[in-house]
Amino acid sequence: MIRFDNVTKVYGRDTVALERVNLEIGEGEFAFLVGASGSGKSTVVRLILKETEPSAGAVYVGGTRLSSIPRRKIPQHRRNIGCVFQDFKLLPNKTAAENVAYAMEVTGQRRRSIRAKVPQILELVGLSEKRDRYPEELSGGEQQRVSIARAFVSQPPILIADEPTGNLDPDTSVSLMQLLERINRIGTTVLVATHDRDMVNEMRRRVIALDRGRIVRDEVKGAYAGEV
Amino acid sequence: MKFNPRFFVREALKNVRLNLLMSITAVTTTFICILVLGAAILISAHVSSLISSVRQDVTISAFFPQDASQKKMDSVRNSVENYPQVGSVKFVSKQQAYENFKKRFKDNPQVYQDLGSDFLPASLEIKLKNPKDAGVVARKLESEGFAPKDLSYPQQTINRLNRVTDYIVWGLRGATALFLAASVLLISNTIRLSIFARRKEIEVMKLVGASDSFVRTPFVIEGLVQGLVGAVIAAIAVIWANSLFVEWAHNALPFFPISGSDVSILYVLAVLVGLGAMIGVLGSYLSVRRFLRV
Repeated sequence: MIRFDNVTKVYGRDTVALERVNLEIGEGEFAFLVGASGSGKSTVVRLILKETEPSAGAVYVGGTRLSSIPRRKIPQHRRNIGCVFQDFKLLPNKTAAENVAYAMEVTGQRRRSIRAKVPQILELVGLSEKRDRYPEELSGGEQQRVSIARAFVSQPPILIADEPTGNLDPDTSVSLMQLLERINRIGTTVLVATHDRDMVNEMRRRVIALDRGRIVRDEVKGAYAGEV
Repeated sequence: MKFNPRFFVREALKNVRLNLLMSITAVTTTFICILVLGAAILISAHVSSLISSVRQDVTISAFFPQDASQKKMDSVRNSVENYPQVGSVKFVSKQQAYENFKKRFKDNPQVYQDLGSDFLPASLEIKLKNPKDAGVVARKLESEGFAPKDLSYPQQTINRLNRVTDYIVWGLRGATALFLAASVLLISNTIRLSIFARRKEIEVMKLVGASDSFVRTPFVIEGLVQGLVGAVIAAIAVIWANSLFVEWAHNALPFFPISGSDVSILYVLAVLVGLGAMIGVLGSYLSVRRFLRV
């Protein structure tokens, strides 16, 4: 589903973010991408979204080489990838329900199906009662759940979360991870970039560890530091 | 893929409401620029019509010899009327010339007391289409048999008038062009500022998978609405001020030929509103484009 083929990414002249990374995540897999700040996690996410281009090597998503996608086709590419960000990236002028609906509106879906789908997905993330609140009226965990609802409402084959628990307390983080697991169970490929040690140890899923731009470990039922 | 146009209009109007301060700034800027521009257009329209009416007042007087026969004078008049440069010709008989003279000196009748009613020569008063042609017409009149001393036209005045009016007309055109350029820059800068403040929003839209045109359309409609509102208010203000000015001029400066029909109100309205809308649309289109590269 996602494949990195000898990918190197250099920012500016000599800031190496990724160095010859080879990586393959299969369809329906659930994987953690772990590592300290600056280890290259976010760069992996940005490369998958085609927010930036690799300096060398190639990134494939769903079998397509990303460098072959022209600029005007990027939106279609991104609609296949639901994305949850550490800072939520909600539109401040829209309510929770409108934020979720926007992700469907950009794909030109009918208003009737938007009106049917949005309440369902808000129900799933447990925010039915707060559908008309604006982001600033919601707590961090609630905003993050809106963000997940938005990422998932079009049922993309891939869901990526970049530090989804970074701004949340431990209890909220657990329920959030359970949500991501539920999404994975219906067949969505889920990739979570995080440095939340407890979370990773709790879940016992595939762990890909990055250190200074290199993959140092890749275990099928791993833990954060590999101490198991 | 089918997009709902109502969605975009709703988005745009909502954005105008939510970014009210920025919207007011953009509308005010457009209003002021269009107002100044409209004033420049109207002033140059009035000045050029004033100038052309002053120019029309330039006449050549051609005096007939004392012994010229009426038949001869009529034939010369017919021939002059057919010159392409000539607007109108008025024949002044000896009797009329005497009456005019008497009127002018009615306060000291001793000037003309002892003179007979035929001491003044008959003449043609020739109005020109363009005062620049005075020299050409004078030469033609000489070939009709008029002696140079019998032709009277204010050549110097005409030359000076031509030069001054050329300066004024070009100056006004230059000022209008400058105002136009300043308006475009100022308005698009204001729009750019308001969009810069929302660049994060644009980034999020792009990351959720919105296409460029999907992000851009509400912004462009927003710019159109702001440009239209500012321009319509400005156009109404300009036209209202113009009608006040024309009315005032009729009463205070009756000898100045200023009229409301110098300017086509509809034309000015269309130009100003069209300009406002165009600047709004172009300004937001170009400004959003810079932030779409995500």
